[in-house]
Amino acid sequence: MSTLTLISDPQTATVLLPEFTLIVGIVLLILIPNLGKGTFRLPIPNTNIRLPYLFGGERFAITSSPRVPGAISVFTLLFSTSLALWSQMENPLSDSNVWCIATTGEAFISCAGMIEPSLLQIDGFSRLLEIVFYGVLMLCGVAMWSRMPATPRFMIRAQVLAGRREDERIVKLLDNRRQVDFHLLLLMVALGMSVVALASDLFVLFIGLELASLSSYVLVAFMKETDEGPEAGMKYFIVGSVASAIGLYGISLLYLWNGNLQISELAASWQAMDSIDPLALAGLGFIVVTIGFKVSAAPFHLAAPDAYSGAASPVAGVLATASKAMGFVVLLRVLVAITMPDSGEAFWVPIVGLLAAVTMTWGNLGALSSENPKRMLAYSSVAHAGYLLAAVAALGLNASREGDHVVAELIVAAMLFHLTVLVLFKLGSFLVLSMLESEGRGSKLEDLYGLARREPLIATALFIFMLSLAGVPPLSGFLSKLLLVSGIVDATVHNTMSFDDGFMAAIRSLHWVFFLALLVFLNSALSLFYYLRVGWVMFFEKPPTRKRLVYAPFLRITIMLCMVGTLAFGIGPLADHLLTLVSNAATAFFS
Amino acid sequence: MFGNPLTILTLGPICAGFAFMLVAWAAPPSKRKEISQYIRLLIFAFSLLLLSLSTLMFLESYSGISWTSLGLSDYAYDNCINAEVAIEAGGCSLVDGFGVSWHVGVDGLSFPMVWLTTLLIPISMLVEWNAKKGAQFHSLILMMEGALIGVFVSLDLFVFYTFWELTLIPMFFLILLWGGDDRKYAAQKFFIYTFTASVLMLLGILVMYYFTRVPVWEGNITGRAFDITLMASSSNNLGSAFLGGFGMQKAVFLLLLVGFAAKMPSVPVHTWLPDAHVQAPTAGSMLLAGVMLKMGAYGFLRIAVELLPAAMVHYQLLLIILGMVSLVYGAMVCLGQTNLKRMVAYSSVSHMGLIFLGIATMQPLGIAGAIFMMLAHGVISPYLFAVCGAFKHHYHTLEIGSMRGIAKFSPWLGGHMMTAWMGSLGLPLMAGFVAEVAIMIAFWMAFGWWVILPALTLIITAAYYLWSMQRTIFEGGDAGELPDTLHDEPVDISWHENAGMFAMAVCAVLLGVLPFIFFDMMSSYSNDFVTEVLLDVLNEVIP
Repeated sequence: MSTLTLISDPQTATVLLPEFTLIVGIVLLILIPNLGKGTFRLPIPNTNIRLPYLFGGERFAITSSPRVPGAISVFTLLFSTSLALWSQMENPLSDSNVWCIATTGEAFISCAGMIEPSLLQIDGFSRLLEIVFYGVLMLCGVAMWSRMPATPRFMIRAQVLAGRREDERIVKLLDNRRQVDFHLLLLMVALGMSVVALASDLFVLFIGLELASLSSYVLVAFMKETDEGPEAGMKYFIVGSVASAIGLYGISLLYLWNGNLQISELAASWQAMDSIDPLALAGLGFIVVTIGFKVSAAPFHLAAPDAYSGAASPVAGVLATASKAMGFVVLLRVLVAITMPDSGEAFWVPIVGLLAAVTMTWGNLGALSSENPKRMLAYSSVAHAGYLLAAVAALGLNASREGDHVVAELIVAAMLFHLTVLVLFKLGSFLVLSMLESEGRGSKLEDLYGLARREPLIATALFIFMLSLAGVPPLSGFLSKLLLVSGIVDATVHNTMSFDDGFMAAIRSLHWVFFLALLVFLNSALSLFYYLRVGWVMFFEKPPTRKRLVYAPFLRITIMLCMVGTLAFGIGPLADHLLTLVSNAATAFFS
Repeated sequence: MFGNPLTILTLGPICAGFAFMLVAWAAPPSKRKEISQYIRLLIFAFSLLLLSLSTLMFLESYSGISWTSLGLSDYAYDNCINAEVAIEAGGCSLVDGFGVSWHVGVDGLSFPMVWLTTLLIPISMLVEWNAKKGAQFHSLILMMEGALIGVFVSLDLFVFYTFWELTLIPMFFLILLWGGDDRKYAAQKFFIYTFTASVLMLLGILVMYYFTRVPVWEGNITGRAFDITLMASSSNNLGSAFLGGFGMQKAVFLLLLVGFAAKMPSVPVHTWLPDAHVQAPTAGSMLLAGVMLKMGAYGFLRIAVELLPAAMVHYQLLLIILGMVSLVYGAMVCLGQTNLKRMVAYSSVSHMGLIFLGIATMQPLGIAGAIFMMLAHGVISPYLFAVCGAFKHHYHTLEIGSMRGIAKFSPWLGGHMMTAWMGSLGLPLMAGFVAEVAIMIAFWMAFGWWVILPALTLIITAAYYLWSMQRTIFEGGDAGELPDTLHDEPVDISWHENAGMFAMAVCAVLLGVLPFIFFDMMSSYSNDFVTEVLLDVLNEVIP
């Protein structure tokens, strides 16, 4: 019944248009590559009337092209991104842009007049995250578009006996099938992630999380012609599924405690508690473990470098950006939306703060000592998770329900800004590595040697991405770190701070979370070394070959766009627009 | 916003440099040589255009700006007067969201530096007219010009810092791609030193940013701003409560000091300079010594001293020690050098020490002298490096003892060498003398007979210059001695080197004979600063 309403209710359909577009895309992806010249003969005697039924038989030239699945998924994601962006363009803060979808499938404007519990909530916050998710997956799709025909050659060789023509057809078929598999999974990830962004019920959230995770396990293992691919996928799957199981157990404990998994109801019960119920605490702790794995926070990050280095670079980019953003959404929903007290600081601040400190330092030290650029980026992603966790810790100080939310909104805006621009330069650098990977390189630092002589523009782009990751002004990476640190400072240093009793006394009187801001700064300074090393080897070492990289025009354009975006979102009017967007989203999160 | 002449001076060369670079890069190989010659001419003409623009801006009769009557926080060509209101109105904001604005303006402190930059760019191009891959070389210099001017004119710390880092990139490539044999090491060292120091400086800037709360304007989500004029007004209003208290001011001052001292450079963070200079191409050395070192001194005055005067008073002794040590140590090291360029590089360290001394006197004359020192050194030290470069170019050596009797083989080079050396050791009627005298008098006014210490060091300066002159220009008997590295007949410098050097010689003498051209605006700036800010602070600190 509810499924029917979901589709038939015009309001619901309008509100969830980006998601429905994804579903349409999935269906098309299954149908179109199978269209063929298949006909069947009408069973009328003495006639030979054949009716085409389009499925089966020899496929059309267009539908069998290995480019088609990529085109479908990229355009679907582009369409969804535009729809989500469009819904954010005009007056995102008005009530008419907040919707709740009830269990009956009906959509309620500004969540008013609901009797049934709400499953999904659509507001500025979730829409922004959807834009990020779709954007990342679209870039990944573009990148794979130009490299998927790396067909597993050994499989074709087995078929050589069948003759040359047959051979070509098999190559085409395999390419096409592989493409379909990949892009289908990509759209599944998109669907799962957007469910996570929209969910207002922990169980729905978990379903989205699992949909995204399971698909991404396969994506990691997708490069099965290499040895590392399946190994990485296996590791990632085992660790990830254990983490998910723990999270599910945590959710079940919360259900045991509350009898309801609505986030708003959980929050209400949490407030009503006199002292913290151990059942609730345990449930929450288990969920945090899952999130720790998703955002690759220490000590749950150990699978991440293996997974990143084994997966195809664009997929690794998805893990480092969209997957991480998804993890932080869950973290915000669980920690901030549920457990914030009426006043004062949340009980988890010390834990998250400690995790942040360990994560960012460990990540940077790991990156310093890794010679594989993909592992280096993986560790740098761990370090960035640490910076974001520091912001979450500061959020725990200032997001209490009854205080004003100026600082808290700044912190959430900073996190969202960081997660958004991270797409440009983190995924951008993975895209560059993906170009190298197409020629079988990209897993050693030596592979980057002299890239500037082979491809000046691409090398410049990678260098700018590295600088932005390190946080050099005026790139967007600097702006995002500046906002994060501003948030932490605002949460801990007050206007009345005075140095009358001496410098050290004033420093000692600060809340300890302040030192996380200092640690962010120190870690950024430390990280300069390994980021600049990439630039150094690209510009000043001898290239192993003089050959140019693969042609891949779309990928090149995408990389250039990422580079321009990295600059433009750092300074200038575009940065302002994005800041408005994220601060609106932050306001939406707290309203 | 873009009609402002300072914006044109900043962004114009950067964009033009990029454009020329692209054209040179995209030119078809068959015509590359021809095109690159045209580009070189165009770039030179463009830089002359900028020079005439900055000169017109300077001439009171043309621009109508009375430089000596600018108040302390008044800036000429300010595109954002009364920043608090103007930024909110959107006239000059760059990113509202975190309070960055495109705020430019010049006063008696920064304008001489802007003019100096526009002057030195065409001269350094002229001196290195025939550089390899000339189109790229000269485009890089043009980009460098924009970045350098950006540092001097921006009144927003974010933009300031961006330009500050941006200057590194062209200089890095100039050293790395056109440098001497050991260029990789030198470029790396240059980059690491200055970058690390500027990270510390960034920390200081961020602390100031966090304490510069502004009334929240539309879209500013952090509620703070990077604008220097806003910081200056809150520094004036809050006094010792600025940055939360005196303790924080001291800490920030030290952070900024490290950043700026490494650029100036001052002992003990000077060791990158000799390596960078020795390996850099001539034009690179000229700009490095002429303008980039001044960035350190300028930033120190504009940010550390102007915004944190109380901390400056507190660390007066530290500044004197740093200045004295740089002065004496630089001079002593010069005495022991056998490499001409290295000697000149260390003499820069020594002269930069004088700037610290001038500032530490806290006298109007001393600060004006320090600013004039920046200008004088900015004209004379490129002259020195141009001579060194010509020497290296024609005799393939930089060793002091290996060649005697330049005056005989290359009379023009010998003459220029003598002029430059004399200018740098402080010959009266040349620019360096004015600055030294001003600083010494101020030092005497402030500390009495202690002035003997820096004054005596000037004797060492004279000693190493005269000694090196004796060993290179003269001596060698009637036949002279040619270095082993020279295999052809010795020749004199070419016309373009000669022209460039003449231009610098004329400027050095002109500024020595008629120092008031720039000294007036500098002393009006320092007078205002001392009487309006420093005296209050002194009264507060020493009641």
